[in-house]
Amino acid sequence: MEPGDPTKQARAAAQLRKGVLEYCVLALMRDRPRYGVELLHALEESGALATSQGTVYPLLSRLRREDLVTTTWQESASGPPRRYYALTATGRAALDEFTHVWPGFRDAVDGFLTAAPQPSAGDPA
Amino acid sequence: MKTPTSPTSPTSPAGPVRDYLLAVEREAAALPADRRQELLADLAEHIDVTRAERPGVAPGEILAELGDPRTIAATALAEAGSGGAEAPAPGGAVPSVRRGRVHPLVPLLMLALPYLVTTFLPDVPGLALCSGLVRIAGGVLLCTSVHWAPVRKVVGVVLSLVAPTVAGIVWRETTVAPAGDTPALVANLVVLAVVAATSVWLWRTRRA
Repeated sequence: MEPGDPTKQARAAAQLRKGVLEYCVLALMRDRPRYGVELLHALEESGALATSQGTVYPLLSRLRREDLVTTTWQESASGPPRRYYALTATGRAALDEFTHVWPGFRDAVDGFLTAAPQPSAGDPA
Repeated sequence: MKTPTSPTSPTSPAGPVRDYLLAVEREAAALPADRRQELLADLAEHIDVTRAERPGVAPGEILAELGDPRTIAATALAEAGSGGAEAPAPGGAVPSVRRGRVHPLVPLLMLALPYLVTTFLPDVPGLALCSGLVRIAGGVLLCTSVHWAPVRKVVGVVLSLVAPTVAGIVWRETTVAPAGDTPALVANLVVLAVVAATSVWLWRTRRA
């Protein structure tokens, strides 16, 4: 396997994104409501979570149906009104749960990735 | 979308944008009509907002950033539950099942029902002990439940577990009337009403 193969890297990143994207989207709304284009910009800037932008809207639609977010229309000084997405209590609870689970998950993966050469648990270094 | 040349009027949502939305509509034909319209409205809004925020950018560029209509439609189908196994089933029960927690009715019934039984069967041996244990277990389940805020849990435990127990001890220490007498039954019914009212209140204020 070529470690530098961009196609395989993209596939791995897409697999990871699938699991965490909705929680990252919820996290973006933690402090204040955001509108769609704003959410997409933030994902874009993160690099790793950048995705084909149009695919985020079906995700937002599901979050709305599952009552994790609510939406309100707000007028804007420039251009058309924006649909703002805000966390519901259920959405906040889901985000809190993920926030709680994530460090253990991340550390476990890091453990597998870094500890592979040494089978013994006690690391002398 | 294939020809990102500017339309005659640069601000009107015509030409490539219309073609793009038509392509999404075609690819998403398997979606329920309301979902499809919602998706198209979301995408149209995205295009409008982006054009307002970045007036210089060509429509073709905005559409390229949005991505392939087929990918968007496939994602929408997966999210709608008709195209992907990972899409969760609809319904409010999903979050609590996923968390693996007990139904909110369980601790409430465990707190209230034993009281009902011992009120009407006061002389059955061993029943008082069993009812006490079930009620304590109910209190523990209430405290560990995800369905109530800490304040509600404390109020619930005090009203449905601590107060009746204290009342029972005080009653036994201060009266000589044997259990089963009318005054004792009345007192038990009062306590039962408090416990039942607390359970109803907790049930109504639970969160999903």
